[in-house]
Amino acid sequence: MSDDEATRPDGGASDGHAQADGGSAEAAGNPVTPEVPAVDHDTGGFFETDGLPDSASIKRWLVTTNHKDVGILYLATSLFFLVFGGVLALLMRIQLWVPRAAGEGILGPVAYNQAVSAHGLLMVFWFLSPFAFGFANYIVPLQIGAKDLAFPRLNALSYWLYLFSGLLYGVSFFQGSAFSGGWTMYAPLSVPSFLPSIGATTSVLALVLFVASVTIGSVNFLTTMHRMRAKGLSIRDLPLFTWTILLTVWMMLFAFAALLAALMILSSDRLLGTTYFAQTNDAGSMLWTHLFWFFGHPEVYIVFFPALGVMAETFQTFTGRRIVGRKWFIGAMILVALQSFGVWMHHMFLTSINLQAKTLFMATTIGISLPFDLMVFALIYTLVKGDIRFKTPFLFSFGALVLFIVGGITGVFLGAVVLDYEFRGTYWVVAHFHYVMVGGVTALVGGLYYWFPKITGRMYDEFLGKVHFAMYFVGFNLLYFPMFVVWETPRRVFAYQSSFAPWHQIATIGGFLLGSSFLVMFYNLYRSVWDGEIASDNPWEYASTAEWTIPSPPPLENFPGIPDYTDGHLSFRDDSADAAADGGVVDTASGGGELAHETGHEDHHVSHASIWPFVVGVGSFLTLLGASGFRNGSLVDGGMGGVYLGLLLTGAVVTLGSLVAMTVEPFHGPDVTHSEKWPFDGVENTKLGMWIFLASDVVLFGAFIGSYAFVRVAYGWQDWHHLIPAAHVPLPGLINTYLLLTSSFSVVVAMVAAQKEKKGWLLGSLVTTFVLGVAFLVNKALEWQHLFHVHSEAFPQGWDLSTNIASSTFYLTTGLHGAHVAVGLLITLYMIVRAARGAYLGNDEPIEYFGLYWHFVDIVWLFLFPLFYIL
Amino acid sequence: MLSNATVWALVVLLQSSIVPRGSRSEVFNQILQVFLWLGTAVGVVVIAYMCWKAYKYRASGGHVDESAVDRPDLGELPQGSGGGRKLFVSFSMSAIIVVSLIAWTYGTLLFVEESPSVEETGGDELVIEVVGSQFMWTFVYPNGHESRTLRAPVDREVKLRVTSADVFHNFGVPGLRVKTDAIPGQQTDTWFRAEETGTHTAHCYELCGSGHSYMDAEVRIMEQQAYEEWYSNTTPSNATATPSGDGASDHGRLRLPTGVNA
Amino acid sequence: MTSTKLYTAIYVVLFVLATAQVAVERAGYLSEAYWAAFAVIMVLSAIKALFVVGYYQHLKYEPRSVSFVMLGGLLAVLALTFAAAYSIS
Repeated sequence: MSDDEATRPDGGASDGHAQADGGSAEAAGNPVTPEVPAVDHDTGGFFETDGLPDSASIKRWLVTTNHKDVGILYLATSLFFLVFGGVLALLMRIQLWVPRAAGEGILGPVAYNQAVSAHGLLMVFWFLSPFAFGFANYIVPLQIGAKDLAFPRLNALSYWLYLFSGLLYGVSFFQGSAFSGGWTMYAPLSVPSFLPSIGATTSVLALVLFVASVTIGSVNFLTTMHRMRAKGLSIRDLPLFTWTILLTVWMMLFAFAALLAALMILSSDRLLGTTYFAQTNDAGSMLWTHLFWFFGHPEVYIVFFPALGVMAETFQTFTGRRIVGRKWFIGAMILVALQSFGVWMHHMFLTSINLQAKTLFMATTIGISLPFDLMVFALIYTLVKGDIRFKTPFLFSFGALVLFIVGGITGVFLGAVVLDYEFRGTYWVVAHFHYVMVGGVTALVGGLYYWFPKITGRMYDEFLGKVHFAMYFVGFNLLYFPMFVVWETPRRVFAYQSSFAPWHQIATIGGFLLGSSFLVMFYNLYRSVWDGEIASDNPWEYASTAEWTIPSPPPLENFPGIPDYTDGHLSFRDDSADAAADGGVVDTASGGGELAHETGHEDHHVSHASIWPFVVGVGSFLTLLGASGFRNGSLVDGGMGGVYLGLLLTGAVVTLGSLVAMTVEPFHGPDVTHSEKWPFDGVENTKLGMWIFLASDVVLFGAFIGSYAFVRVAYGWQDWHHLIPAAHVPLPGLINTYLLLTSSFSVVVAMVAAQKEKKGWLLGSLVTTFVLGVAFLVNKALEWQHLFHVHSEAFPQGWDLSTNIASSTFYLTTGLHGAHVAVGLLITLYMIVRAARGAYLGNDEPIEYFGLYWHFVDIVWLFLFPLFYIL
Repeated sequence: MLSNATVWALVVLLQSSIVPRGSRSEVFNQILQVFLWLGTAVGVVVIAYMCWKAYKYRASGGHVDESAVDRPDLGELPQGSGGGRKLFVSFSMSAIIVVSLIAWTYGTLLFVEESPSVEETGGDELVIEVVGSQFMWTFVYPNGHESRTLRAPVDREVKLRVTSADVFHNFGVPGLRVKTDAIPGQQTDTWFRAEETGTHTAHCYELCGSGHSYMDAEVRIMEQQAYEEWYSNTTPSNATATPSGDGASDHGRLRLPTGVNA
Repeated sequence: MTSTKLYTAIYVVLFVLATAQVAVERAGYLSEAYWAAFAVIMVLSAIKALFVVGYYQHLKYEPRSVSFVMLGGLLAVLALTFAAAYSIS
């Protein structure tokens, strides 16, 4: 503490350890001269290290894998999507100025539906979460005392997939029409018979790519946060912002896997012609609502939790009070995170679900609202006995809490099912969730002001910040409160009762005020980056988390030594020797700390640059853009078909090539020898990453199998057999079971051989695995060929993907499994090549980790086989 | 056994006294009133309290004896302040309010869900099938008559059996406080009882495509006598004209859903 | 060598159990008592899965926390599947 603590952001100079009230011993340390030297020095280091180009060059931003750079990229990109989604919202508000007839106003009916859908999707997916994850990327490693995330290149990959998925969504507007079925994408409107445009397919594929980005990011953050905390920093002691991110990422891991299943099925319906969501499947609509809301409800907390974390941090800093009931606060959040997976049917109260389900989900819904009461009260009581400074970040957080209280109370209305019946599909819902979600945005904007000096090393203009808040808060309430008043307006229409028009006009004016407030912010931040006042290490009095102990902006490898909390207070140990440079935080910016930084740097060289994540992003973009040219298993007609196919093939080659290049490239992740690793001691980072990924894959396959079970139950479990030709017999499945089991065994043998350094056995068993896998796929291909062309009385046209719902579930679920096998075979091939050159002997980890994947694929088959062949 | 009996007694008690009864509009309005008053009161109290505290403890306010307060230290291991008791009391109060409110409305949910039984309606229940399709509503009467206007008698329970012929719609008549999803391949049931004659408008409440904004239908609540007269003159669907000339059949034959689970 | 023996023994067990599943169907139990046979077949699958997870993937020898992560994913989808199927029954 101490040195910079007394620095008021607007006060200019730090007067050193003026406030020795903290009771920490090292307060008498070197009075550091104000900000300038520290910043100078460290940015110097920042620019020159590790072949990472200067931050003024474009190349730097294409190759960087450093978490702080990636955080900045996330922030900038998400703000771009905020503008994108915001402009769409303003177009809608203009259209809603008065009730319109079709074709009146600036948006036609289809354009309006596109705007509605894209606004929701862009704001929820491409703005809110990534904005929060900009902060998470930048701040979480600093708060837990890590040099970077566990897998820096995967982090960059997450970003590039995110960016390119957003661009893909943008492209979809130019392919006829972007998706126009609402952000909830209810079936069967979402299938080509109702939304035939290629752009609609592209929008769905953009979401798939976005989910891929999220999944990679989740694995990365979970591994990092569980295994790379500073010594003495237990999970329980994590700062609250980091806590919220931890829970958010856990929810993301499982929730987004369910969404991925839903989107893959939808993509398959659109591209390959399966019939899950087709009008002919009576349970299709209900299946989508279940899958979507199983994801959708946790998603509410996924976007809100980081905002809650920002609120907790800023409340503590700007009131100068530690949060009241910290343990209860954390406990409440854990409870919410768990419960969030058990409330999804409250979005479906008016569907054909039965009364028992409604009752159960009403109860769980009340249950999940209660922990939030506790969190709100904890924040409010933290104000008491505070030394509250109404700086811009606090104004936004405080405003966010007010908005969240309104959003929460109006949400209780929806919890009463009888009221929900009438509110469903009206502006009450719109107003409620905007109060909650945009209330969350409010806190995140506060976070942007809060961490701006840390990220840029410059102070924003406080006056303009307050102007922004005033415009924002007034604009917000003018925009959303009238929606409660005229709640009877149906959602997503532009023809409404004309007596509501004045209220909608107020809302439109509020919308423009809210939108223009961001112009003030952009101007303020843009100016401040260049000529804002230089910010000290810690411009906020009473800030206590680790990011404020290091220079603004932090040096490339963050800390001047190894962060350590073992004595209850952050200090940086000299990482070249055990002789603890226990000077505490004071040393941070002083000469001693700098020395430690240099020595540390030589010992643990961490890589920070790779171009391949970017190239994978480009490849995926091209692949999916190419894939959008398919419908019902064939390419669109005409010359464009060839173009799409070309894009698909080019993209596949680029993606695959860059993935191989990325694997081959030497790259050193951060070192974890000095970290706190509970509860995953003894599970190496890559292995833990693999396990966490597999957990999400469990949900993916589980959701596929669950979808199968659901439509089969809806159809009549045993009547289902009428949908399947007699030619569909267990034998090919049994043969494939034998093949896969044997291949699993041969992978185990390969691992043992690698341990015992027997090259012949290693190569032999890898080759065996490969051959068995290929045999599996060949057998499957033969079986499918046979089934496609059955010719029986019941199935005169054969039994292909679109014959009926049973064939769709069979081909798609086992097809997804087959794709997993194919991916495994590519990896096997790569390992055979490397093993032939002598790799893995005495170093069996890569084979073990591959084995985890391969055995998982085997296990999935163990369930697919009885479900799709026997029962 | 005992608890079952107790719960049952409680339900009966609730249903007979506190739980709102009447038409769906009455029920809805009563509950909404209570929620609005309570919600506003709670919101005002909580927000006023937090604004007051924030003002009182502003940095220049001088309301705190700094020597008695332990401020956070830079670099400390994160920890909390006390105050758990106060937190718990407030939390419990809010929990009681929320849980009792919802429990109270649950009785009404049961009432709303249990659409009137045959005995209550005197054995002549009126069931009208509602079919949504892009972008119109079709009402099918027991005798097979189809119409684009929903006609129903006043003061009589009307059951609606709702489905869709194409995409996901939602059928709602705000004036009667009746609403339910119209899902292809599924059937949802709801009911209403109109207190007065007059006309209302039904809307679609689920985005269903380009014509969603205009997917409305007229709902005409008629005197029972007038309704019976009108109804007795209707004929099954493909008749070319209806006596009342509401123009329903101008649009030709309808496509009905193939897979409705009856 | 013991580990290799263990792996081999498990492989044999897996092979036999897979065959047993088909045998249950061949013997006609499915048409006689569908749900009993259903239960037997699914339990056999679960046993096989536990063997693979526990030994081939070494989950038995990892910290319990890893098992809980996997269990979390499994419980989530089971909740989805059963609640969804129940809601339309």
